[in-house]
Order: sequence, then C-alpha cells, then structure tokens
Amino acid sequence: MSLDSITDEMKNLRVSGLERCDGVNRRAFLHLGVLSAFGLSLSDAFRLRSQANPTTRKASSCILIWLDGGPSHLDMFDMKPDAPREIRSPFSSISTKVPGVRICEHLPRIAGVMDKVSLIRSLTHELGNHDTGARFLLTGHRPNPSIEHPSLGSWIARGAGTERAMPPYVAIPSDAVGGLSGAAKPGFLPSGWSAFNTGQDPGRITDLHPPVGITLKRGERRMEMLQKMDSFNRSLEQSTARFGRDAFYDQAARLLASKDARAAFDLDAEKPQTVQRYGQSRIGKGCLLARRLVEAGSRFVTVVDVGWDTHQNIARELPDSRFPGSGKLPALDRACAGLITDLAERGLLESTLVVLMGEFGRTPKLNALGGRDHWPRAGTVLLAGGGVQGGRVIGATNSFGETPVERPVSPEDLSCTLLTLLGISPQEEVITPSGRPVKIQAVGNFISELT
Amino acid sequence: MRNNRAILFAVSLLLGSSLAVRSTESRFSFRTDILPILTHAGCNAGACHGAFVGQGGFRLSLLGYDAEEDHLRITRELLGRRVDLESPDESLILRKASLRTEHEGGRRLLFSSDGYRLLREWISRGAPFGDPQQSVKGLFVEPEVLVLSRESPPSSIRVKARFSDDSEREVTHLASYQSNDEAVAMVDKAGKLRAQGSGVSSIMVRFGGHATAVRILVPFASTPASSSEAAFTHPIDQLMSETMARVRAPLTGLASDGEFLRRVYLDLTGLLPAPLVAQRFLSAPPGREKRQEKIDRLLESEEFNDLWAMRLADQFLVSGKGGGPEAPRMFHAWLRSRIKDRTSFNSLVNQLLTATGKPSDNPPAHFLFLDSDPRDLSEHIGRIFLSSQIACARCHAHPTDRWTQDDYHQFAAYFSRITKDGGSLGDSERGEVDHPKTGKPAEPRPLGEDRQAGEVGRGRRQELAQWLASPANRQFVHSFVNRVWKHLMGRGLVEPVDDLRPSNPASHPALLNALGELCVRDGMDLRKLIRVIVTSEAYQRSSRDSNQVAGVERIHAKGQVKALSAQVFVDMIAQVTGQPDNFPGQPEGTRAVQLATPQVASTALDALGRCRREQSCEGGAGGGGGLAQALHLINGSTINEKLSHGVRGLEAQTPMALRSSIEELYLRTLVRKPLVEELNHWTSLVESADSRVEGLEDLLWTLLNSREFGFNH
Repeated sequence: MSLDSITDEMKNLRVSGLERCDGVNRRAFLHLGVLSAFGLSLSDAFRLRSQANPTTRKASSCILIWLDGGPSHLDMFDMKPDAPREIRSPFSSISTKVPGVRICEHLPRIAGVMDKVSLIRSLTHELGNHDTGARFLLTGHRPNPSIEHPSLGSWIARGAGTERAMPPYVAIPSDAVGGLSGAAKPGFLPSGWSAFNTGQDPGRITDLHPPVGITLKRGERRMEMLQKMDSFNRSLEQSTARFGRDAFYDQAARLLASKDARAAFDLDAEKPQTVQRYGQSRIGKGCLLARRLVEAGSRFVTVVDVGWDTHQNIARELPDSRFPGSGKLPALDRACAGLITDLAERGLLESTLVVLMGEFGRTPKLNALGGRDHWPRAGTVLLAGGGVQGGRVIGATNSFGETPVERPVSPEDLSCTLLTLLGISPQEEVITPSGRPVKIQAVGNFISELT
Repeated sequence: MRNNRAILFAVSLLLGSSLAVRSTESRFSFRTDILPILTHAGCNAGACHGAFVGQGGFRLSLLGYDAEEDHLRITRELLGRRVDLESPDESLILRKASLRTEHEGGRRLLFSSDGYRLLREWISRGAPFGDPQQSVKGLFVEPEVLVLSRESPPSSIRVKARFSDDSEREVTHLASYQSNDEAVAMVDKAGKLRAQGSGVSSIMVRFGGHATAVRILVPFASTPASSSEAAFTHPIDQLMSETMARVRAPLTGLASDGEFLRRVYLDLTGLLPAPLVAQRFLSAPPGREKRQEKIDRLLESEEFNDLWAMRLADQFLVSGKGGGPEAPRMFHAWLRSRIKDRTSFNSLVNQLLTATGKPSDNPPAHFLFLDSDPRDLSEHIGRIFLSSQIACARCHAHPTDRWTQDDYHQFAAYFSRITKDGGSLGDSERGEVDHPKTGKPAEPRPLGEDRQAGEVGRGRRQELAQWLASPANRQFVHSFVNRVWKHLMGRGLVEPVDDLRPSNPASHPALLNALGELCVRDGMDLRKLIRVIVTSEAYQRSSRDSNQVAGVERIHAKGQVKALSAQVFVDMIAQVTGQPDNFPGQPEGTRAVQLATPQVASTALDALGRCRREQSCEGGAGGGGGLAQALHLINGSTINEKLSHGVRGLEAQTPMALRSSIEELYLRTLVRKPLVEELNHWTSLVESADSRVEGLEDLLWTLLNSREFGFNH
C-alpha cells in the first residue's frame, strides 16, 4: 500500500464530503455551539463524518505504550552481546519466535509473540531532553516557538469526530509525559481534543456513575437542566471557548448517557485469568483497560509507564527493583505480550495498532553508576497489529548501538506512518487559530517495510 | 566557459539583492560578515549543524554564538578541506551549501547569490578571522512601529546593525524574523510582513547575537474613529488611548454592576459577595464612587491577604516537596504577614534573598532551599523575579534573548557560596561556578550589566539582592507589575509573563513604563498597584460576547474572561453551600486558598488542576482539567456532598417563597437575579420534582456546574 494511493483516496473522500450550507439540517444547527467549542465548522463536521470509515486503512484504533524516560535499547531490543564489557548489557539475550532475532532475556513473553511484531531498531534524532524528545516523538515535529503542534492522539481524536460516547483519546493515568512538555496535548487544536486522564489507578475509575442517592434518571435530568441553564446565557459561549469547557461537558454527557461506554472502564468485569495474563502491575492493568476502551470505541489510548530514565544501576533496577522479578522489564513483558495475545485471540489485532516506545534510547557506554544516560541518536520502536506485518526487523545500528547504519527512521517518518495507518492523511492541510496553513505532517515518509 | 561565468556573475550582481558590497580595502570579519550568512542560510540551526553533536561530523555553534570555535572548525578541521584557498569554489563548505556535492541539508545557498559570492571572496582572501574585537553592538529597525492592513500588500522593514568600530550597515537580508503573535501578523524569511488579524503585536528581529522588535498595529476594520476618542480620566486609560485610537479598537462598554461586583470580589478576595451585600450594591444607584468604595473595602479585607499570599506562594514555588511541612507552612504564614503589614515588594524579595539561619527560626530562609545547584537556582531566580528565561544560555547563547553563556554563569556565581549545613542557610567564603569553556571560576556579575562584582567583603547574596530587589531595577519592577496586571486583567501586557525581553515588547509599552514608574513612586506597594489597575475602565469593561470581534481582549478593548484557580473554585462551592471543606491536618474552617502547600491531600483540588509549584504554572501545562474535571464536578464529591447543606432553609412551600429561594441561589452563585424566563422555567421545574428539596438541590447542582459559574468574567 503506497502513501500515494492512500492520499488520493483521502482527497476523493474530502471532495465528496464537503457540503454546502444549504445541505444542513436543523439538528446540526443546534449543535453549533458545541462544534465551535471543538473548533469545528459545519463543513469540518461533515467532512470528518464522511472520513470516519475510509476503506483503505486497517487500523481503527491505536494503543500506545509510552515508556517515559527513555527505554534503553541496548538492554532491551537492540542488544550487542559481542560489544565490550563497558557497552554491552548486563543481561543476556534470548532467541525469539522469529529466527535470527534476539532480545533481552527478561522479555521472554514478548519474545514469544515476535512473529506478530515489527521491530524498528534505527529510530534516530538529536533531541536529548525529556521534554523536547517527547514532543518530537509524540507530535512528529521539533518544538517550535511559533507553532504548538498537536500530539498524535489529538489528531486521531479530531478524526473521530464528536458523535461517540467513548472519549476518543484516553491517557492512563494522564497525558503528562516528558516532564511538563505538553507533548501529549492538543497544541493548536482546540482543548476539546485533550486526553481523558483516567487517574492513577486503572482498576478504579471514579466519577462515571451518579453519586450515592442519585438515580440514573435523576442524573439525566440534571444534565438536561444544565443544558438549559447554559442556553439561557449564551453571552459567554465565545469568550470561554478557548478553555474547552463546553466540549468537555458535551463529552461527559455522551459518556454518562451510555451504559456500555461506562462499563468499558470497569476492570472488575474481566475474568481473573485475563487479569493474570496482563499482570497485576500498573502497566498490566493499564494495558488491559486500554484493550477494553478500544473495544468499546476509543480511538487512541496511551498507557504511560514512568521510570525508564535509568541513569543508574540498570542491572538491578530494570529486572528486580525492590525484589527479584519486581522490576520494570518483567512487568512490561507481561503487559505488552498479554495485550498483543489478547487482542489477537479476540480478533482485534488487525484493527488495533499497538506501539511501544519512549522519547529516546540510552548511551551505549555504561556510566559510573551502572546506568545509561540520554542517547537520541539510537532507539527502538515496537509495532504490532493495525496492518503492520509481523516478524520483521527494520533498520540496524552499528556494533555498539551508537547510530543507525541501515535504514534510519526519523520521528517524522514514524509520525507519518502512524497517522497513515490510522486513516489520517499527513498531507492534509489545516488552518491554525492564527490563520496559518499547516500540514498535519509535512515532513516524513511512510515506512513501507512495515506493511 | 570562463566568459559565460563572468557574464552570469555580472548579471547576478545586477539582479541580486541589495546586500552591501564591501570595498576591497576593508578587511573581512568572520564574526560580522561571514557568520551571519551561515546563520541566515540555516547552517547553524538546532536541527542542523548547530545541534549539540552537529551533523555529518560538522559542528557549528548554535546560531553562531561562538565565532572563534566556528572559524576553527571551518578552516582547520577535516585537514582544511572545508575551505580551498587555491580554488575557492571547490571548498567543501561551498560545494555542499550549493548542492554541487551531496548534502543532506539540501541547497542552502544559490550559486548566484550574494551570500555565496561573499563566502567565496572571503575564502579567496585566505578565510581570515579578522579583527577579534569586531562585533555587533546594536540592532535597529526602521520603522519601529508599523501600521499594517489586510488589504495592503506585504510591507517591509529595514534592519541596521552597528558594529564595535562604530560603522553601520544595513542587514535586512541577513536578519531572521519571527512573529510574536501570528494571529496579528506574519513575517516571511525575507522580512516581508503581512497582516493576519486586527490587534497589536510585534515581530522579533535577530542578527549577530542581538534581538529587537518591530511593533505592529493592525487596525480593526469596521469602527468609526470617533468611538475611540472618548475622554478618559484614568491614567491607565489615557495611556492606552493612543494605541487604541491607532488601531481603531472597538471599545466595549463597562460591565454591569453585578458583573463588576462578582469579578472584583474574585480578583481581590477569591470569594463571592454574600447575597445581602450583593443586593445592597445592586440596588444603590450606579456610579464610579460606589465601585471605588467597594474596591477600597476589599483591599483591606483579611481575605485579600489570603488570596494574594497564595498567589505569591505559587510564584515562589512554596512546596512541601523534599522536606517537612513545617518550614513551608511557616514561610507561607510569613508571606501572608508581609502582605498584611504592607511590606514593599522589593523589601520582601530582599529578605528572601538574604535571609540566614534555620527556616524554623527565620521563615524567609526557606525560600533558597528551592534548589541546591547554583545554576538551577539562578534559573529559578531569573524567571521568578526578572521574568527572564536564562536556561538556554547554560549551554549556548540564548537564541531569542540577549544572554550569553558568560552572562549565565556569572549570574549563577551569586549562588555558589550558599551553605545549608544542618538545615541552616548561610554563606561561605568558598564555592564557585566554573565557566564550562574556560574551566575557571566565573566572577559574579548582574544579568545584563557590564560591571563586575562590587565591594569585597559583602556577601554575594547581599550584593545580588541589592541589585535585583531594587526599585532601580527596571526588569524587576516590570516583572512585578506585569504579573499583577495579568492576575487582574487576564493577560499580561507582555505575554508570556515569564519572558520579558526586548524582542517581545508590551502590547502597550508606554503604559508598562508608566505603571512601572508609578509603582516605584508608590514604594512597590501591592495594594496601591492593584487599586490603580482595578479603578480603570480597561479593567471594568464587560467581557460578554458583544460584537464578536476577534482580537479585542488581547489589547484590553474588552474584558477578558479568566479561568478560576482550583483553590478559588473549591472555596466558592464551600461558600455558596455554606459547608466548609475539611483538609487533612488542617484546622477546621481552613479554606483551600489558605493551604500553604500543594501537598495537602485533596481529590477536588487535583481534579481541578491545582498548581503543583514545581515549575511555573503560568502556561497551564499541568494535569487536571479536561473531561476528568467535568466528570468530577458532575458526579464527584466536591459538589454533590454539599448540595443538601446548600439548600437548607430554602425548602419553600409557597410559590412566592420558592421564587425567592431561586433568586437567593442565583444571587449566591451568579451575583444577579434570574431573568423572567429563567425564574419561570426553574420554578415550574422545581415544583414538578419528586420533592421540593430534590428540585432545589438539582437546581443548585445545575448552577454550580454552569458555564456562568465556572469562570471569572
């Protein structure tokens, strides 16, 4: 599938999707206030609706497992066992389901599903700070004083439109990644396209049901009263639009009105065996919740796992942490492999794109504290599902894992690829609030080796 | 071949841009003649060779801050292949830049361009560094203020640089341009300006390590000029009137008494007026004195001290992180007392910077425990008190402000002798910040000043405080004035408020200067500054969507809607329902605004996005807000647990009493009476509820979740 054919498809849809004002019906007008809170004009809304099911893409949703801090490529997916002692990982490598591909011994379950996975070993850029690196990876653009580029999640949310009950973009526990980077935020898009932050405990999402003593019916009545109250005084509608409040209340109303949507957030509905498969860790529960959410209709769910900024003692921190087996690697291994397997068994893997990455890799030379520091020049990305072919390795680094020697992949290439796989045309032009025309992802090429 | 090339050369000279040709007698200066060409062509940008590790083995200093290093790398590295003195056109630097050799960065210089030609000539003359003293001393733009309109074709400006040898040269085609607000005007690489939308903004112009700005005014379209010529009596309005007239800003009328009352209460005290107070104010005849009296009353209230102590605590990052709760609590209490006894701001800051001893004995000593590394501490101080973002200059010269690495490290040197042994703040005779390039200790020097450290024997902190926390320090005064302005007006005269620099001027520069002077004359008194601002028409303008003209709030031609801080919102709910919150570990009746640190547990405050005080909260990049906040207000405990208390005494039995209860709820929350249609609608709705209490609770719930309640307008 070439990028050109996808773009043409998008163009056709766009042309056929545009409608004139005289084609508008009365119901659409009543929603005008909400649309403006989302920053959409009527023609936008029509166009997005018609784009909602383009036939060319495979993935209808994405689960991004974000390893905040910068996961060490040399200790996980790009091991160099023949490198000198001061460079190679303290861990051994193991074989995987794909002949010739070896990964860290502490990721045996992921090794067992490598046939479903494409592994990029040549991610490369130059931004070595958490906030700038995170912004580059999540928005596809380097930080720029003139424009705040929206994150991938926000673009996908916008493409999903405003009709669904499930929040289109969810962050578990929150969209605060890369320090105060704002990398996962809507940027110049209206705040309505922010993530829904589920809070620290994926097993307990609060505030989805009316409080004790309030029946569902009474809760519905209150929401109707609220709509009426807000309509009595419209004189603040425009002035408050930039805060996104109307958009958030609108999303809340739709979510609360749908029993199925609310039920999607309840992990207690899962069988114990399933919970076991993902693991009891926070990342495990987060991935399980993510699966439920995309099953119910969310389009982009980020599971944020913090603590990958391992400047010291990798040998102990990554596998064992507080006690043997309690480290980040075993938890990730279980959660990620559990997710991929679970999606596959439920027939959801084809339509769900799974991405595993962080803001950069880590220094090949181990530092004095037995850890590694920031190294944006090399890094890995794991992808599965959503049209991505399994069992492939794309790119390679040199013998010390310092720099790509084969098929370098930039964050721009990655962003272009993810957008395309998820049905967004990277070349689509939008107008920022200040009137500047900007392409969603002007720079970057589709990584065709993935499909 | 030769002849063709010569003709091409001559033609390109004729057709070329107006880059001034250097006479053959004058010598080349690498720093001022050649480096700007590389900067303009993008060679030393952060994404290219200016990256920390360079590109393709070639590294340049970011945006050319280190001419000596760059010259060495260009002329000496790679066995000197980058410049070919015998055949200049064969120099690698020229071949790559003009894409005659493979170059991942693409073509940066046309072969026929003046830039290429000058580079070649420089190489042919031996690629000299030239006079090491030669540098850019100043940058000027003409005109300094430009009025643009959307109908007119793109305008241009002229940029002149003055050099250390007092010569001047036009550098329009080498400067870099960036709009400070693209919604008002855009600028392209050549410096052509285009109006985008009405308002006031500026274009940042950079060359040779200096930055300045052109002020842009784009008039509003449909206003007759006369409406902006109203006679103003308040100094703030008078100072803004010239700009307002020049952009033909459609001035919104004053807010109604009710709108004003609610706004000024929230801005000065963080609370709503009690219904009886509101009634009295609304029924008295409208007038300026009435509002002035109210303002004076609020400035003397205890709640004023609470609210502004919280604001200062946000600014000074008062947090319990990494230490016990005692010290920050005492520090917070100390701040509140200083506000209450009207300590001048400069005196307050002086105490923060020079305090010694244990915070438990001397609360202001807690402030400098904010960070231990002198560089990190200097970055906080620069931002908090001078609204200067100096962080970039740690590793290289600041790209958009004037700070160099020397400035940065010499400023950080003020903090290198602080000791914290045994939890007691003190100073030692030793301790240095080493300049990363020379490895030698940096001599303390105030930011932006030429002079070196002063008297020997005075501690570094004392010296710093004397320079920084002083009414004579313009940046310090402007930073203070601008922050207070933003709290009240919703938008700083300079935005962002953490970034005051010459290349980002105020929307009303004369006003900022005048307010600064006034503030100094008033002894940097917080209340006096607030008073002068809130008595102006600019502050009292209505914020409602009247004429829907885009861009009017940015220049304060219309009132600006402000978000409510988490603490104020939570306090408003407690106040309106009459049921106070219970914060763990706090005395009964403590309001959210009074909490000393963000470490006090509260789901409500977290859901509403309270400032964590780890970094500046100005940008609003923290968590909270969004769909999660909406769900919490709708279903969570914050509002729901207080509804029953909130309707106590209002369970009216007669229709008239019911109407009266509804009016009471409106007055409490929105500081106004319901409109006839609102009153009728809610009366019949409450009457049809399962019980009167239920109906009223639902109405109160609705009011507290409403758009009109949730903002400060």
